Amino acid sequence: MAEIDINHLNKQFGTGPDSVSALQDVSFTVAGHTLVSIVGPSGCGKSTLLNILSGIETPTSGTVRITENGGDARVGYVFQSARLLPWRTVMDNLMFVQKAQDRSAGERCQRFLDMVHLGDRTESFPGELSGGMQQRVGIARAFSIEPDVLFMDEPFSHLDAITARSLRKELHEMWKATEKTVLFVTHDVGEAVELSNRILVFAAGGKIADDMTIDLPFPRDAADEAVALTKVKVLKRFENMNLIAS
Amino acid sequence: MTTVATPLPPSPWQKARTFAATPRFARILSIMVFLLAWQFLAPLLPTDLIPAPLRVLQFMWDEVRAITLARANLYEAFGISLRRLAIGFALAFGVGVPVGLLMGVSRSIENFFQDFVVVGLAMPSLVWALLTGIWFGMGDTSPVVTVFLAALPFVIINMFEGVRDVPKDLTDMAAAFRIGRGRTIRHVIMGSLMPFFFASLRYGLANGWKGLVLAEVFASTSGAGWTIQYWRDAHRAQGVFGYALFFVLFALLLERLVFQRLSRRVFRWRPEIVSVNSTAAQAVADETMRDGDRPDEDG
Amino acid sequence: MTTQTDTTTAETVAEDVPVESQFRRDLRTRWIPRFAGYIAFLLFWDWASGGLIRAQLLPGPLTILEEMWGIVASGELWNHFGSTLRKIGIGWVIAFALGAAIGISMRHPWWDGFFRDWVVTTMSTPGLVFALIAAMIFGFSPVGPIVAIVVTSFAFFTVNIAEGVKALPKDLFDMARAFDVDSRRRLRHVVVPFLAPYIFAAMRYGFSISWKIATLTELFGASRGIGFMMRREYQLFNMSGLLAWIFFFFAFALLLEKVVLQRGIDHFFRWRQTAAT
Repeated sequence: MAEIDINHLNKQFGTGPDSVSALQDVSFTVAGHTLVSIVGPSGCGKSTLLNILSGIETPTSGTVRITENGGDARVGYVFQSARLLPWRTVMDNLMFVQKAQDRSAGERCQRFLDMVHLGDRTESFPGELSGGMQQRVGIARAFSIEPDVLFMDEPFSHLDAITARSLRKELHEMWKATEKTVLFVTHDVGEAVELSNRILVFAAGGKIADDMTIDLPFPRDAADEAVALTKVKVLKRFENMNLIAS
Repeated sequence: MTTVATPLPPSPWQKARTFAATPRFARILSIMVFLLAWQFLAPLLPTDLIPAPLRVLQFMWDEVRAITLARANLYEAFGISLRRLAIGFALAFGVGVPVGLLMGVSRSIENFFQDFVVVGLAMPSLVWALLTGIWFGMGDTSPVVTVFLAALPFVIINMFEGVRDVPKDLTDMAAAFRIGRGRTIRHVIMGSLMPFFFASLRYGLANGWKGLVLAEVFASTSGAGWTIQYWRDAHRAQGVFGYALFFVLFALLLERLVFQRLSRRVFRWRPEIVSVNSTAAQAVADETMRDGDRPDEDG
Repeated sequence: MTTQTDTTTAETVAEDVPVESQFRRDLRTRWIPRFAGYIAFLLFWDWASGGLIRAQLLPGPLTILEEMWGIVASGELWNHFGSTLRKIGIGWVIAFALGAAIGISMRHPWWDGFFRDWVVTTMSTPGLVFALIAAMIFGFSPVGPIVAIVVTSFAFFTVNIAEGVKALPKDLFDMARAFDVDSRRRLRHVVVPFLAPYIFAAMRYGFSISWKIATLTELFGASRGIGFMMRREYQLFNMSGLLAWIFFFFAFALLLEKVVLQRGIDHFFRWRQTAAT
């Protein structure tokens, strides 16, 4: 079972009086098989957190542990834009991130491309696909390395509402089928309510302002009364919090 | 009930008029006008040095059949030039690629070389041809060194731009997926550098070729450039015009047969690229994008 | 079960290294390497002069400066430079008029078909070809360089202006028509300002081509001008003279193109956020 354990994480940009805090004393743990959404206004340190988790940035202080049954956890990423290699085909893009370049890896890639309904576009170049299709390749790529933990950074924010909705459905199904631990960053409260078991709310300056559990049965639909009501409730709670820097 | 009027078949006169309005007709017409003007106006000019088109064609046909009065025939002359171009350009590529890459990686190295690259880009290849002529005398060295010096700044600047252009979001992606350095270089960095290698090749060769021809005119006793100079010294205008046309044909052939195919292969993944059939438009597009890193028409 | 995998324990990453001031960083990464570049160049030159090539064939910097001073003092510079510049001026104006006329006419597909091949061909032909032919036909007369300039550079005006005409913003045009702006004012306030960057880019580029082709043609057939002097020094094997004229050529080409023309263009485009390249 995968576990994310974050302890007293701090991140500052710059030094001295000009320095800006992106994360302040952030601590939380995520146990396996949950989808946690991180919600907050822009500049609340969401992306910095993911950059630290993915090793692109180092924290000023604090520790991050991502483990799977005590051993190394494999981690997959889905970015805001698809970040595919434009000069490689869809299949080669998936193969690019595989550890072993063997037949079973190829079969696995094909399986996940089938799951995002792109099984017949393996030889296309990313430039020949629509934005939504590219993002689906990005999702298939993240799942194809069979990660224990998955980080997603506003993966649907560049897509139109209808495409985003169908991709959320696909994501939910893949999550259910594979039972990964997912950390999902978004600025869309509705999306967070629809997808996750738990929502972490970040406030400006990179502090955790709230931590709530969403206890609704899956599959959820944005049009369901219960989902819509929960969204309203969450938004109301936001009003009482000071999320934006004064 | 409706009566369908059968359209009358167009008269030949109408057909001719519709054809006359097509751009294709304009294209043919312009060539005809030019050739006729040449044929009939040339004798009126105050010089007997403009040969009629037919004489030039006769000369070119003889050359193509390897019949010539010059010391080397067409194939030998172009063969010698091509060999020099290849050697000079290989040297420029060998030196320019590492320098350009280093300049892209380190700001200090960039500043060390920058001014010289800028001057090199602006340097007419004529200058190199004259200088190498004095330094290395008449032989193979001057043309080869001229090609090297003329092509080098174009290789460097393109590789430099290439490094600057490596997309950070893709290298970050590779880092996030824990892809090793070797695979990242091979799949991410090389992929994004490919168009820049291609641009180095194209512009480096174009400028190298122009320098080469000049160097052969001034500082060599063989090659295509020397041959055109030979015909000039011999006052055979049809030789100069004929060779001039060979140069044009050679450039077009290189563009059509080599670069366009190569570009189609290299940019297979770019669906939005419509095959550019006008090098002119391409040149200006490049020019408006970036100043100074394409070769000038300096001969 | 908590083996540390991502060893991002970084409590001790104290940034006690003093922040380098902007000035010092600039000095370190910009000025010192740049300066080192020049020093290396001069050292190489000094060594090459004698070490690589006989000293007569590569005179040192001072000899060339002396030579340049001599040329200026004797008044030769103005004589030849003026001659070349006059040819360039005339050729450039003709090339511009011709190129613009053809470029505008190419809006129509029929004229596009008529001219396209010639535009592409003249652009991809080495300038040497035109220089040689012009020198051969016109001999030592100043017409040769002018014709060569017109033939080599008109196509650049044509293509730039044709591109500009093609890209004319239809929405602004429609807006002007919707407001009943008459065609003369449309031309003045919409078409001309829109085409201006294309025209200026072509002018600058055409200018740098004109310089080179004028010099080249003078090299083959002229009795005055910078190119003629280069040829003379080359034939006399007078390296310091040749280098002196090359430096003059460079100094003037760069001065005129980068300073005079670019300044003028920047001034014209001061309303623009990003300057036209």
